Amino acid sequence: MSRRYLVGMILALTAIAAATEEAGVSVRDAWVRETPPGIAMTAGYMVLQNKTSRSQVLVAARSSGFETVTIHRTVAKQGMTGMEHASKIELLPNASLLFAPGGYHLMLLNPKRPLRAGDRVDITLEFRGGLVLPVAYEVRK
Amino acid sequence: MMATVALVAMLGVVWLAATYRENGSRAILLPDQVMTLLPDPKPLTAFAFADHENRVFDLSHLKGKWSFLFFGYTHCPDVCPTTLATLARAHESMAKSPAGAKDVQFVFISVDPNRDTAGKLRQYVTYFDTSFLGVTGDDAQLAKLAGQLGAVYQLAITPGMENYPVYHTAAVFLVDPRARYHAVFAPPLDAEGISKRFEVLRELEGPRAT
Repeated sequence: MSRRYLVGMILALTAIAAATEEAGVSVRDAWVRETPPGIAMTAGYMVLQNKTSRSQVLVAARSSGFETVTIHRTVAKQGMTGMEHASKIELLPNASLLFAPGGYHLMLLNPKRPLRAGDRVDITLEFRGGLVLPVAYEVRK
Repeated sequence: MMATVALVAMLGVVWLAATYRENGSRAILLPDQVMTLLPDPKPLTAFAFADHENRVFDLSHLKGKWSFLFFGYTHCPDVCPTTLATLARAHESMAKSPAGAKDVQFVFISVDPNRDTAGKLRQYVTYFDTSFLGVTGDDAQLAKLAGQLGAVYQLAITPGMENYPVYHTAAVFLVDPRARYHAVFAPPLDAEGISKRFEVLRELEGPRAT
């Protein structure tokens, strides 16, 4: 077996694995809060589902519609709530993770245009290992 | 009849809660932990803010109405808009109740006066509900009111950093028409949880609170 053949086979298998995982990681109920007038930030929410048999690690999110997209979590400490940056979120095999008000959210800074209820926002989620998941978020009031 | 039974049952819950003391603490928890009632409402003392029309907003503005107070800031993507939207729905629900909402006001207290100018506050709060009031003051005045309610906040201002983080108490405070701190709603907040309990409390306290 030539070395080139082996590399080719590994690449093919990796592609198959990635395709399978792509089908197994999904998002539902994805929405972004409408921006109040004069406010250049908002948050995105969703249910992230991992139907694969492996842990999946969300490492980043990006969108051309905003200056920055960061994964945040609202946390309570010493009687106060605040936000902290979540550099990665591990999604266990066959588990769902809720991004909801008061918890995990995508912090969306400086939208290119104000967001109105009914608009659509495209954000791409990136997972460790190269899996990327484009998601359409509905803007809601 | 059904409504009367339901009201009596709910009053019963509040009454039970109001007679329960936990480890000598003055604050009392309802069984569902949504609303905490103070057994002895605490009269508030003077503070001075400006509202979103640049009018004075001081202790006298808390008299004659039930006031829902929430501390926050407009550069807040998650907790503040969620809470204001919830309070707007609670207000809508109260307005539909037999007693209405004419004796109720909702006040958003910005702990971030640097960024939250009157104009910005007006735009922000009235987006959620046209009757909402946005107020703010300097640190000394904010601390005066926050301290009396047990609210805390912290601004992590970093020079050159436009979006500095702000930490703040996410509870909603209820002040009665005699300007006494009367109850607090703890997150996670839901509109019906707030409006139903408030309506019972108002009914119960009605003549005494005004």
